[in-house]
Amino acid sequence: MTRAIPPSIPILDSDIQDFADMSAALTGFQSSVLKPALDPVGLAREYYIFAVTQVGGTAMTTLLNAYRAIKAQTARQIADTLLETSGSSPSPQAQLAQSIVAMWYLGAWYVPGVLGGGGFAPPPLQVISSAAYTNGLVWRVMQSHPMGYSPFTFGYWSQVPAPLSSFGVNTGNGGGQ
Amino acid sequence: MSANTPKYDVVIVGAGVSGNLIAKEIGLAGKKVLILEAGLPVPDSREEYMENFYLALAKTPESPYPALAGRQGSQVNPVGELPKPATLPTPRATVLSLGQSPETSYLVQQEPFNELHKNDPNPPPPQNPPTDENGNVRGLQFSSTFERNGGGTSWHWLGTSLRELENDIRLKTKYGHGEDWSLTYSELQELWALAEKEIGVSASVAQQEPLEVVGLKYPPGYQYPMQAIPMSMVDQAVSSGVAGLQVPGMLDGQDDTLYDVFVTPTPAGRNSEPYDDRRVCAGNTNCIPICPIQAKWDPTVTLGKALDTGNVTVSYQSVAYNVAIDGQSATRVDYYEWSRDAGGNISKVSKSVSAKVYVLACHAIENAKLLLLSNNWKGIANTSDQVGRNLMDHPLYLTWALAPQPIFGYRGPLATSGIESLRDGEFRKYRSSFRMEIGNEGWNFSKGDPYTTTMDFIQGTNNSNVNPPPGGSGQPVRLGGLKLVEQLNNIFTRQFRIGCMFDQSPLAENRVTLDLDKETGKPNHVDGLGLPRPKVEYGLDPYTMEGFRMAAYVCSKVYERMGAMEFTTNGGGGVGDFTYKGVNYHYYGAGHVVGTHRMGDKPKASVVDASQRSHDVQNLWIVGSGSFPTVCTANPTLTLMGLAFKSAKSILAALGS
Repeated sequence: MTRAIPPSIPILDSDIQDFADMSAALTGFQSSVLKPALDPVGLAREYYIFAVTQVGGTAMTTLLNAYRAIKAQTARQIADTLLETSGSSPSPQAQLAQSIVAMWYLGAWYVPGVLGGGGFAPPPLQVISSAAYTNGLVWRVMQSHPMGYSPFTFGYWSQVPAPLSSFGVNTGNGGGQ
Repeated sequence: MSANTPKYDVVIVGAGVSGNLIAKEIGLAGKKVLILEAGLPVPDSREEYMENFYLALAKTPESPYPALAGRQGSQVNPVGELPKPATLPTPRATVLSLGQSPETSYLVQQEPFNELHKNDPNPPPPQNPPTDENGNVRGLQFSSTFERNGGGTSWHWLGTSLRELENDIRLKTKYGHGEDWSLTYSELQELWALAEKEIGVSASVAQQEPLEVVGLKYPPGYQYPMQAIPMSMVDQAVSSGVAGLQVPGMLDGQDDTLYDVFVTPTPAGRNSEPYDDRRVCAGNTNCIPICPIQAKWDPTVTLGKALDTGNVTVSYQSVAYNVAIDGQSATRVDYYEWSRDAGGNISKVSKSVSAKVYVLACHAIENAKLLLLSNNWKGIANTSDQVGRNLMDHPLYLTWALAPQPIFGYRGPLATSGIESLRDGEFRKYRSSFRMEIGNEGWNFSKGDPYTTTMDFIQGTNNSNVNPPPGGSGQPVRLGGLKLVEQLNNIFTRQFRIGCMFDQSPLAENRVTLDLDKETGKPNHVDGLGLPRPKVEYGLDPYTMEGFRMAAYVCSKVYERMGAMEFTTNGGGGVGDFTYKGVNYHYYGAGHVVGTHRMGDKPKASVVDASQRSHDVQNLWIVGSGSFPTVCTANPTLTLMGLAFKSAKSILAALGS
């Protein structure tokens, strides 16, 4: 497996926190889910470094600065602005934001701007790590667990799952905290 | 020990379902067994395989299992490149290499239209293979894949442990089609009971009783080893949704009987209680490719018991390439013991081993290959000319839909129920019968979800067909934040699918041969040990395809009655695409590889007898699903293990114990 090479730029804890807060707004999840105060997995850091390694420090800093400029807005506004959801074609910066969402949801890196075809998703460059796979947000969205990584017990599948709100989703409108 | 005294009573080729079971039974009787396993050893911990799975870009059935000692992304198994069979000591058929040229596909097959034109700057419109004068579609891809490692392909079986129906094994007598099996149903019932105990099958006889309408019967008082696996919410929705649905036997009137459509829980080789020192199923939704906690039985369970007898030895990385014959007896097996250094260089040492009895248990395609390779590639045990012929699968027709309300797929074992009520009827005179498996994994199989739909809503594409442009024109939506969460939740919790598996006709021309040049007799393609590779020719007859037509109809009726919206699409020109009566269909492989050394009473028309003993070679048993005369309507593992019990008994009798 290709390990991310640490970028040459300095990695500030404040950048990681802003990355996590921005990611929370983009993904619809609580920032405390993506980056808990005591973080046993460290995905925010891993993802930040991975993304910077892929696209370079400048692109990431530009995106983070765009986020910082609007961080007082609601999570919904932040997501719509950075992902340019109302525009006809996303800018390279919005495509980077898309790849960051995909990374959190699917645990893999999708090269910005590469679309799928033939009825299927685009091929990811890499599953970032086994922890990235087992912590993918998409499994929470479906009120389930990663395929191959069930925390539940025998017979749970015959019952209605816990509500979506209990899976770490930011159901409020208050800014991705 | 003198060279004339074999160290072993039995040599078994292949450490899979049949090989391990026979080794255990023979070992328990105090006889000495050597298993030659072509591939790598069973790993010390399945965590190694789990890590392969987590990191695999495509979570295909083969993804946890390394073709070599090397994880995807390592030097010997680079990301983005498919391994080249010519460089591998034990290449295998993989999902990712389906439809590819022999450079990357281990099985040498006719490449599909789209593959042949993939580098064409102006490719012609997609085209499915034509129909021949008999109405058969030829030149299709055999789409089932298999492993070559310690434990074999059933590392990634689903666990489905259905019994065959009485009319499955007497199709010829009852309906004038296919073949009869040369066993009685009551004998099979005894063998299934043995296999259900070995595997640890969870099911309730009472829940299966409605299937008496298709002839499923149990001996009085029979109980499965464990209580049934609960039905998933998906199953429950389909079960209540189809209540009262009836369908005709044929669409064109040959059988207008109305058959009831109803759902029954599927007997499964997964623990519903602690059993055999293994854990209870936690619903990882990952039976295929790998159960993370071994709540699902796999052949390594039985291999462990075989080794515990103290009489069984396994030689890994040992590829058999010749069974030597003297008159009507096998006298030794020749094999390559291989190793591979860090630089990827393969070295091999040729060895031989002798025993009183020989058992070929290395998969239906590999068994045929080994028989054909023997005697200097002239073949053995083949006076019937049936070795390699009648290759069958359960070609699998997949349909998928969105339920009208959340039914919460992606939870529980991959499948927990099915529609088994259409497996038998007069229509079997005219078309293939099928069972219908209800999936608990959303559109994972159908569309590669959750990846495809998620990327659609992130990127504004519509590969999933659930993100069409609003109002029918313009661009599909792009979403983020809570809107993305809610839209994906709305889709994923309503996704489900049905897989229909057909009792495909045995056809002599569907066959495995050695890929040799007709003029020179030299191999066109070899593996990393220099051995010729299997060539596979495959097609479908109208009897089988008419079953697809009916299955498409029944699935649509099921969805319609449930108020579900169907999204099934069938392409053209690709792997598994064919046209029947003007409609495009697609089949997948089910991994149920059957028929290549068919069982029968007549040595002129079959390869083995009901004990899976060669008609031609008195001390050779050829075992596994390759012995099935027909593929029937149940998934094959339970029955093939039952047959292995019968073989073990006959081997012990032959050894004089």
